[in-house]
Amino acid sequence: MADVTSHTVACDISDAIATQVAAAYRGEGDVASICLGGSGSRAAFGLGDQATLSLSGHTGVEDYQPDELTLRARTGTPIAEIEALLNANNQWFAAEIPSPSSSSTLGGAIACGWDGPGRAFGSALRDIVLGCQLVNGRGEIVRFGGQVMKNVAGFDLARLQVGALGTLGAMLDVTLRLQPQPECTKSVAFDVAPEGLDAWWQRTRSLRPLLSGSCYFEGRLHLRFSGRELAVSDVLQQLGGEVSPLDWRALMDLNSAFFHGERLACAYLPRYSSLPLNSGKALVEWEGARVWVRDGDHLALARDVAALGGFVRVMRGPAVSLQGVTSAWHRALKSALDPKGVFNPVHFDRCFTGEGFA
Amino acid sequence: MSHIDSVRTADEQAFIAALRKVFPGERLFVNRENLAPYECDALPVYTTQALAVALAESEQDVVEALQLCKKFGIPVVSRGAGTGLSAGAKPIAGGLLLVTAPMKQILEVDQVAMTARVQPGAINQQLSIASAPHGLYYAPDPSSQIACSIGGNVAENAGGVHCLKYGVTVQNVLSLRLVSAAEENFGEVITLGSNCLSQPGFDLLALVHGSEGGLGIITEVTVKLTPVPEQTRTLMADFGSVRQAADAVSAIVRAGVIPAALEMMDKLAISATEAFCKAGYNLDAAGILLIDLDGHPLEVEAELSIVERVLAESGAIAVHLASDDEQRARWWKGRKSAFPAIGRLTPDYYCIDGTVPRHRIGDVLEASERFAEKYALRVANVFHAGDGNLHPIIMFDGREPDALERTEKLAADILEYCIEVGGTITGEHGVGVEKINQMAVQFSDAELAQFRAIKSALDPHNLLNPDKQIPTLARCQEYRALRSCCG
Ligand SMILES: Cc1cc2nc3c(=O)[nH]c(=O)nc-3n(C[C@H](O)[C@H](O)[C@H](O)COP(=O)(O)OP(=O)(O)OC[C@H]3O[C@@H](n4cnc5c(N)ncnc54)[C@H](O)[C@@H]3O)c2cc1C
Repeated sequence: MADVTSHTVACDISDAIATQVAAAYRGEGDVASICLGGSGSRAAFGLGDQATLSLSGHTGVEDYQPDELTLRARTGTPIAEIEALLNANNQWFAAEIPSPSSSSTLGGAIACGWDGPGRAFGSALRDIVLGCQLVNGRGEIVRFGGQVMKNVAGFDLARLQVGALGTLGAMLDVTLRLQPQPECTKSVAFDVAPEGLDAWWQRTRSLRPLLSGSCYFEGRLHLRFSGRELAVSDVLQQLGGEVSPLDWRALMDLNSAFFHGERLACAYLPRYSSLPLNSGKALVEWEGARVWVRDGDHLALARDVAALGGFVRVMRGPAVSLQGVTSAWHRALKSALDPKGVFNPVHFDRCFTGEGFA
Repeated sequence: MSHIDSVRTADEQAFIAALRKVFPGERLFVNRENLAPYECDALPVYTTQALAVALAESEQDVVEALQLCKKFGIPVVSRGAGTGLSAGAKPIAGGLLLVTAPMKQILEVDQVAMTARVQPGAINQQLSIASAPHGLYYAPDPSSQIACSIGGNVAENAGGVHCLKYGVTVQNVLSLRLVSAAEENFGEVITLGSNCLSQPGFDLLALVHGSEGGLGIITEVTVKLTPVPEQTRTLMADFGSVRQAADAVSAIVRAGVIPAALEMMDKLAISATEAFCKAGYNLDAAGILLIDLDGHPLEVEAELSIVERVLAESGAIAVHLASDDEQRARWWKGRKSAFPAIGRLTPDYYCIDGTVPRHRIGDVLEASERFAEKYALRVANVFHAGDGNLHPIIMFDGREPDALERTEKLAADILEYCIEVGGTITGEHGVGVEKINQMAVQFSDAELAQFRAIKSALDPHNLLNPDKQIPTLARCQEYRALRSCCG
C-alpha cells in the first residue's frame, strides 16, 4: 500500500488562524470581521473583496492513498499541484474542479462551489466532499465528516461548506473522493441551429453513461465521451460528427475567450430547458441546464430564467436580486457556526439573506 | 375517564383532544395495544411507548401536528416505514410519533427530465418499479428496499449495494419539501435544493440528509432517476480466507475499475443465506465477493476481463460469471436476504455499521472475531465492501440475562476499533439511540457542541427527535469516564 507524498511545500498555520479568529470572537484587537481568501484567482468572477486573512499559506497534501481513492489536503494548496500528483497515479478528482489559474487553491474551490462541464453527467463538487477541518467562529478547530467513502455520524457540516463562500468557517483541510482516470476521452462536434438543440437533448440521453460533457457555442454542439477505448470508439462510430477542437480544460477553468466579456452571468435551469438565447452571447452546457451569457441584459435574463424555474448568478456586471434563498435557515446556521458574524460578513449579507444581490 | 387517561396529565389529554381534530378516527392511536406495534424500529432491543401515534396523510397534517407539538411542548418523532437499524424512529416517552408512511404516493415520474417527485412514505422499490417502463430506475438500493420509505432514506442518507458507483441518497436527491421548526419560520414548508443541478445559497439539502428527523419533517422528495444500464454482468468469487477476499477489494480499485456493486459475505453469512434461499453460493468458501459491472457492453467486457484477472491474482479459489439474469437475480436475492436469513439462526441479532478505509477491512473482520470470542458471541458479516462499509451482525439470545449487555459491549468494541483505524461508527444506518455513546469517542467536545448548536438553531424548542444522534455533554463525560476506568 503506497502512501504518496507531494512536492508541495507543506506549511501548517492552523494555530495562527485559530488564534486570530478567537481574538475576533472575543472582540480583541482591531479586527471584528475577517474576510477569508485564497490566492485571489476568482476575483475576476465576482469575488473580489480584499482578503484580510489569507489561507494560501496553509498548504500541503496531508494524506493521499491511491487505493482508497481519497485525498486530504490543506485548503491553501494549489489545485494544480494536487492534480499533478493525482496524474502521476492515473487518478483525478471524482468531480471536475474549476481552477482559473495555476495558483487557485482548493479552499477557494470549495468556498465557491463551482462545477465543471462534466457535472450534469457525473458528480458535483459537493458530491465528492467526504470531510473537512475548519476553524469555527469561536476560534475552535473542529473536524466533520471523515476519510472514508460513507459517513453519517453527526450532521453533514463538511458538504455544507461547498458554495458557502467562507461564511461558515475558515476551512483548514478537505478530504475529497477520487476516481481512476478514464482510459480514453474524445470529443466530436456538430453544426446545430438553436432550434435543433431540443432534439439533440433527446439523443444525448441515450449516449449515457459515456457522455461526459456537452457544450453548445456559436452554432456548434460539442460532445465529450469518456470510458474504455473500445466503448468510446463504438459510440463515436455510430454518432459521426467531426473531431471537436474544443479546449474543455479552458472551458472548465473559465479561461476560454468567451468568459472575458465585460458582463458575465451564469443561468442555472432545470435540465433540457430551452432558454431563449437572444440576449448577448450564450454558451450552453449541461444539456441546457447551465447557460453562460456574455454581455447580456442581466435583468431580462433573470426574468426569463425565473420563468423557467431557474436562477442567475452574476459573475461580472450589473447584479440581480437573488431569489429562492431560505433566509431563516441561513441566518440560523450562520449564528450556530459563527455567532459573532466574524467570517465574510459582506458575502453573507449579499448572497445568503435573501435581501442582497448576486 | 379511561385507565390510560388517568395517568396522563391534563396537558397531554388536551394535546390528544386537539390532535383528534386533525387525525380523526383510525388515524390516531392512543391505546396501549395500538401503540405497541410502533414501540420500536427494526432494532427491537430498544422500545418505548409513545403518548400517541398519528398517521399523516398530507403535508397539511404534518404542519398541524408540528404546530400542536409546539403549543403543548410535546416532542415528535417522525417515522417512515420503521426499518431503521439505530432506533432513530423509536418513540419518546410522552411524545408524539408522527408516521409519514401513509403519504406514499409517487406524484410524478418525468421521463424527459429523468426525475421523480414522491411523497416521503413512497417505498424505495416502488419508485424503481414505477420508473422501469421509461427505462429508468432509482439507484440507491438498500437491502430493505422492498419496505423502507424515501423519507426515511433521506433522513438516514441510506446507501445500498449499488452506491459505490452511483452514490448514496444525498447524491441522488435534487430537492425536498420540509416543514421547518426554526424560530423565524416555524411550521412553514420550505424547499431545499432545486431541479437545477445547483442551488442559490447554502447546501441545505445536504445538511438534511442524514439528519435523522432532527432538523425538520420531510413532506416531499424529488429524486434523480438513472437510465437502466445497457448491460450488467455479475461475478462471484470464492476465497479461502476473508483476508484474501478483503484484499481483493482494494486490488480491484487499484486496477482502475469502480464496479457498480462490490459486496462481501463471510462463511456464516453464506451458510445462513444458502439455507434460507438456495442462492447458489459455495458453502466451502470462507468469503465470497459479489460484483456487478454495468454500462456499455464493450465497457463491461473490458472491465470484466480486468476484474477476472485481479480476482485470480488475489487468490480466488473460483470465479463464476452469472450465465443469465435468472442466476444474477438469485445471487443478489441471497445477498439482500442475508439479514433475515441470519435472523433464522438466532433468536436475536444486532447489526452494526462501521465504515473503514478499504485496506483495513481485513483487520476489522479479524478484530471482530477476537472481540466476539471475548464475549462468547458469534458475528456474521455481509457488507458493502467496495465502500469499506461493514455490517457485523452479532447473534445473541435476548432471553439470556446478560446477552444484550454483552452484545452492546461487543458492538462498542467493534465501532471503537473502526474509529481507531481511521473510520466512522456509521456509514448508513445513523446514530439514533444505538451509537450515541460512540459519538463521544469519534468527536471532541467542541465538535459535539457545534452539532448541538446546529440542532438548536433549527429546532430551538427541541421538539424534533430530541435526545438522539447528538449526545449531551454530561452523557459524553460519563461515557468517557466509564471507558477509561473499565475499558
Ligand atoms: C433487513 C434490513 C436491511 C437494511 N439494509 C440497509 C442498507 O442496505 N442500506 C441502508 O442504508 N440501510 C439499510 N437498512 C436500514 C433502513 O432500512 C434504512 O435506514 C432506511 O433508510 C430507513 O427508512 P424507513 O422509512 O424505514 O425509516 P424509519 O426507520 O421509519 O426512520 C428512520 C429515521 O428517519 C426519520 N424519518 C422517517 N421519515 C421521516 C420524515 N418524513 N421526515 C423526517 N425524518 C423522517 C426517523 O425519525 C428516523 O430517525 C436495512 C434495514 C433492514 C431491516
